[in-house]
Amino acid sequence: MKIQWLLAAACTGALSAGLLGAPHAGVSDREGDRRAKVGAEDAWASRAVWACDQRKLVIVEGVRADQRIPPDRAQLVADVLMDLMRYCNEEITAKIATDRMITVAANGKVYEHYVPGGPLPIAKASFGEPTRREQRIWQAELDKLVTEGDRLFHSDELGTNGVACAMCHPHASNTHPETYPKFQTQLKKVAVLRDMVNWCILNPLEGPELAADDDRMRALEAYILAQRAGTPLWAGKH
Amino acid sequence: MRGKRSGRRRRWPRRICSAIAAVATAALAGAEELALPVPPGVLPPEVPADNPPTAAKAELGQKLYFDTRLSTDGSVACASCHDPKHAFADPRGKATSAGVGGAAGTRNAPTVLNAAFLASQFWDGREPTLEAQAVQPLINPIEHGFADHPAVVAHLRGLADYPPHFAKAFGSDEITIERVGQALASFERTLLSLEAPIDRFLAGDAGAISESARRGWELYNGKARCNTCHGRIDVIPLFTDDLFHNLGVGTQRIDFDSVARKAAAAVDAGRSIDALALGDAAASELGRFLVTREPKDLGAFKTPQLRNVARTAPYMHDGSEATLESVIAFYDRGGNDNPYLDGGMRPLGLSDQEKADLVALIQSFTSDDLERFEALRGLAR
Amino acid sequence: MYRNDMTRKQIERALAERSPEDQRLLQTLENCDRRHFLRVSLKFAGMAAAAGIVQPHAFQLVNVAHAATAPGADPEIAFRFAYVSDTHLYARGMTHRFAKAAVKAVEDVNALDPQPDFVLFGGDLAQLGRPDELELGRQILRELDAPVRMMVGEHDWYLDMGELWKEMFGPDHYSFEHKGIHFVVLNSVVEKDFWTAKGYTPEQRMAIVAGLDDNRQSPFEVGEAQRAWLAADLAGVDAKTPIAIFSHSPLYKLYKPWNFWTDDAEQVQAILARFETVSVIHGHTHQLLTNRIGNIHFHGLLSTAWPWPYAPEGLPVYTVQMARSDPFNQFDGCGDGRVDVRKSGRVDKHYNLWSRNPRAVTAQQLASGTIPGPGGYDGPSY
Repeated sequence: MKIQWLLAAACTGALSAGLLGAPHAGVSDREGDRRAKVGAEDAWASRAVWACDQRKLVIVEGVRADQRIPPDRAQLVADVLMDLMRYCNEEITAKIATDRMITVAANGKVYEHYVPGGPLPIAKASFGEPTRREQRIWQAELDKLVTEGDRLFHSDELGTNGVACAMCHPHASNTHPETYPKFQTQLKKVAVLRDMVNWCILNPLEGPELAADDDRMRALEAYILAQRAGTPLWAGKH
Repeated sequence: MRGKRSGRRRRWPRRICSAIAAVATAALAGAEELALPVPPGVLPPEVPADNPPTAAKAELGQKLYFDTRLSTDGSVACASCHDPKHAFADPRGKATSAGVGGAAGTRNAPTVLNAAFLASQFWDGREPTLEAQAVQPLINPIEHGFADHPAVVAHLRGLADYPPHFAKAFGSDEITIERVGQALASFERTLLSLEAPIDRFLAGDAGAISESARRGWELYNGKARCNTCHGRIDVIPLFTDDLFHNLGVGTQRIDFDSVARKAAAAVDAGRSIDALALGDAAASELGRFLVTREPKDLGAFKTPQLRNVARTAPYMHDGSEATLESVIAFYDRGGNDNPYLDGGMRPLGLSDQEKADLVALIQSFTSDDLERFEALRGLAR
Repeated sequence: MYRNDMTRKQIERALAERSPEDQRLLQTLENCDRRHFLRVSLKFAGMAAAAGIVQPHAFQLVNVAHAATAPGADPEIAFRFAYVSDTHLYARGMTHRFAKAAVKAVEDVNALDPQPDFVLFGGDLAQLGRPDELELGRQILRELDAPVRMMVGEHDWYLDMGELWKEMFGPDHYSFEHKGIHFVVLNSVVEKDFWTAKGYTPEQRMAIVAGLDDNRQSPFEVGEAQRAWLAADLAGVDAKTPIAIFSHSPLYKLYKPWNFWTDDAEQVQAILARFETVSVIHGHTHQLLTNRIGNIHFHGLLSTAWPWPYAPEGLPVYTVQMARSDPFNQFDGCGDGRVDVRKSGRVDKHYNLWSRNPRAVTAQQLASGTIPGPGGYDGPSY
């Protein structure tokens, strides 16, 4: 991290020289090529600024390739490049629009806008990283199942005698799902979590066992496991 | 043993001499350690370090086991109540066994077959090993009848045919009660049989047991709630949890409530528990409590193993259930209520078909190879 | 190898040195001997132990320490009371497991000899505060021979805010003197109103409070009004008078997510601070639970209905936990018990755990800070 910092500081220094001085000072040939590709007309004008690592790019809109970037926006460019370089080593492109709204893109995906100094809305992994939208959807689905499991866990509808799982397991405590599979003395064999759930339904709750593919069993397992998220697995621990 | 130094014989310490002699004798007698007949995947029975099984010890044990001279009136041997022709239980089919002079007891004789695997012996688990168990009936006045262990030893010493067997088994012909126990235990450790239709069924042979028994197996592990106490664990397939439970057996024959409560109160007050013996049957019914003196063990008896139970009627510690059907009915109604009834007992609501299925299942626990034990006899005098 | 190496002669000699009463009793036992399978050593195991003869352990003689806690034997015990708590009854007939358990507790208490001076009911008689549940509870507790002191729990209260409870069982907080001890019974399950704003019906309110882990409810408290009442009640009591507080919630702060908690615990403890000897007996936690804060000893009650697990944090260091219970056995982890009140006013708490070895937590252990673990095998009978 420290090296990146020094690198970034050095590059920014060089950058500032490049921005405030002649375009060619401190700027590589590669940059020159890219500049040529970017449009030169004012209305569509944009100027590309590369960081010295050749992987971070900021495109400033409304500035021609041969124009000096106004100081305040130049500072913004520098800030953005610093943030991007501190964040990771991959290629990231940021675009500063004429109204100073900044968007960032990586791996071909465009994200929401970003404020320098704030969190970067980019996932660091290179391949197949779920989008924020996908993550939201998936979490909502899981929450739905966990909530249903919570409801069943606390209700008396699984058994026939008014006993609920939560009576002996408030907040799913003392369920230890991370210790399965283990030899379960009541079953006299090695059991997995759903075996014990069914045994409890049959015995202290005096209700009918659930089929292995019953959605209610899925919901109960989801709730129990969600309460113990983050606990290391330890199969066989008694 | 001659020393290597010329002209001098080293005097070896006597202990080493006899140890070497013992080993030599044992080796000569072919008494290397006996391999117990345990199927693959099953944990072998625990054997005390000081009594590894040998053929000679087992033979001596067999001789003792069948010998009716090992009783004060010459009528009772181990085999009298633990008869190999009756799956090593009492052949007379009465609720409880009778000893010298026909004296009747209060406990039903459990089978010796596979007893080597159990964690404790006797209905109240008061002895942990076969060695310790085997010598207790000898000095019980209503079993073999000897006054004490020295009397047993003295009696044996008077029988001329025993010293050579002791010598063969233990390296010297000295007869001690420890050796008697060790020999009997070594013999009993050879009485293992874990090959029954249920085992073949669970190994994958679906046709090994009947359709009814297959349904019984589902019930056994489900609605009938058998397997938590009588569970079959693959590595020790005995159908017992080696623990003690109060089912209420026998609690209705006596004023168990008041005897049990007084016992608990006596312990609580630090008084002698003998103070509550109100009668013979009462004291016996306290069960495991007499060993641990914990109120939770009042009226609790050991979960018996179920192999071959179809052949060892009647059932329960007092033999009060005559048939498998009546045992199932007993559980179906949740046992007999009493202040210390095990909280796991409850009415099961079994249908007639389900009860029949359970009986069919239990019959599949009978070993395929009982005939080979039936041929066992005492050794010639 | 053999656990019994006492000859009959040795035992008989030991017996000859016993008191005449014990000898008579042993004669009876000897007569039993002739018709029994019982071994000689076994029959006299208790006698031998009492005679101080060490028995090798095939029998696992355990907890001879029971003798130390004997009420008759210890002249320092002034009186004792029994308890039945947290029955959580459903009105589903006498064969329902909670009803059977409550009856079992009543029978245990009735079998105590000598009888306790009174029986404390520790709260949560009903499960959902319903009239039929409370009525079933009253019928069951009516079978107790000794007089009963009632205490309310949240399961009894929040259906109708205690109206039926007060009608059936009297005030929810009161005090009384008994043999020099000043007893106070509190309603320590008061909750700040969480239901009006949300528009919950009484049944919904009760269902929320009935969920131990339902954090929509408020934390328990004694409340300002009751604290004022307590201060006034104790105003005339001398600081040397031993105080015993019956409370449903623990009167200290153990674990808020399960309402093992009293929000104004410090203020209540402050009122009690000037007294030399204070014991708090509380329900709600359904487990063996012990604490000491300053001059106050806290003892939890067992439930007859089901055990709670131990909280993931906040457990007092004084608590020696009961082992994890086996749900195959409906009585495991449950029970009843009694409290021996010493002449000093301090209490010894006796837990009568069904299916387990009984446990005692004494005032002396709490004072010294060392509560011994269970002796012998305390595992489940499964």
